[in-house]
Amino acid sequence: MSKRRSDWQSRPQNRVRQWFHNGFLALDDEIINQVTKETLRMDSDSEMDKHQEMLDSHRHERTLALERLDQYNIQAWANTRGRKALSRIYVTISFVLAFVMIFFLLRTVATMPRFSDPNAPTNNEVMARYIEKGLEETGAVNIVAGMILDYRAFDTLGESTVLFIAASAVLILLRIDRRKDGTPVQELIAAESDDRHYEPRSDRILQGSAKVLVPIIFLFGIYIMLNGHLSPGGGFSGGSIVSAGLILYLDSFGFEKAGKFFTYKTFSWVSFLSLSFYAIAKTYSFYCGANGLPSGIPLGTPGAILSSGLILPLNIAVGLVVACTMYIFYALFRKGGL
Amino acid sequence: MIEWIRFILTAGFLISGLLTLLTAVIGVYKFDYVLNRMHAAAMGDTLGLLFCLLGLTVSAPDIWTALKLLLIITFLWFASPVSSHLIARLEVTINPMWHQLPLTPDSLKEDDE
Repeated sequence: MSKRRSDWQSRPQNRVRQWFHNGFLALDDEIINQVTKETLRMDSDSEMDKHQEMLDSHRHERTLALERLDQYNIQAWANTRGRKALSRIYVTISFVLAFVMIFFLLRTVATMPRFSDPNAPTNNEVMARYIEKGLEETGAVNIVAGMILDYRAFDTLGESTVLFIAASAVLILLRIDRRKDGTPVQELIAAESDDRHYEPRSDRILQGSAKVLVPIIFLFGIYIMLNGHLSPGGGFSGGSIVSAGLILYLDSFGFEKAGKFFTYKTFSWVSFLSLSFYAIAKTYSFYCGANGLPSGIPLGTPGAILSSGLILPLNIAVGLVVACTMYIFYALFRKGGL
Repeated sequence: MIEWIRFILTAGFLISGLLTLLTAVIGVYKFDYVLNRMHAAAMGDTLGLLFCLLGLTVSAPDIWTALKLLLIITFLWFASPVSSHLIARLEVTINPMWHQLPLTPDSLKEDDE
């Protein structure tokens, strides 16, 4: 018995328990005493075996109970002492980080030019160049389009990629897949029934107004996309308007009809082609030296619809990416799939 | 003379629109049940915005701005009533109260809590 006891005590979880209880031995001493006494009173071997079985089962239950108690104690520790300690560490680290940040930011502010300094970067030649030479170099009447899609086109490529990555992450998290043989899983059936219950389905009023509104919304969005270099607008705003039209169509006519022209394949191909076209076009433009150097792409007459070189196709690419991303966000958050 | 007529028309439309919107806001805060509140909000969204935009249309500098404002009015009159209708439909779908027709005053009272 004593050997067993020492085995039990030397088990790693018991050591953790001892550390946890500040060295207090949680061994069931009284049970051992009781069992030892009863063993002395044993007469026959069969009774001994029976008793051993009982003892084992008792010990097993006891161990399980103790483990449960340990878990409870760990949770309690995490909720009281542990949380206090962690929050103290957290507060200390955050204070230190905040003060370091404040120090560096204040140092940066101290080296900044004075307000309304004529040599400051806000007033210097970069802005003047954008305004004075923007039309000449990019061919875009809308200076903002010239800036975001010509001077700073690399930044816009990053933004479109962020949208695509966000859509992919949402796809990974929220998409409910079918099984390999095509049968739906339980979650998908539940999502379908929820959708059937809560969402408008073949609603006459909604369908009637959607029939009138969806084409107009599409036209308006495409107009904004194509006219981005001539008037305020561009790919991002036009794409979101087109996706609003898509969402309205999906709401009023359901997933079956919308799935006829928009599937996962459409999403991946449109996004892939737009982004790669953007990347290739800008690579070519950078290869040719960018900023106003001749690249073989005619700038056209400013103000015409076919002008300003690459800005128009880039606007279309950005708009397509935005439209696909927003539409797939909506579909995934609503039902977990297209 | 025409300037004055335009000014008075604009002011009248704008003030009545703002009064309607005020009524709508009071209604939204005053009522308890979804459909009652929705009724108030939809009134502000349609009549109030109609009056405000009509006032702006009258005072528009040229005919194209006025036409654009009229288009906006058309769009709003599509969007707001249809969305109100959908919200009402959802309420009727998910609230168990509407499944035990005919309604009695008692069942209405229970649902207010």
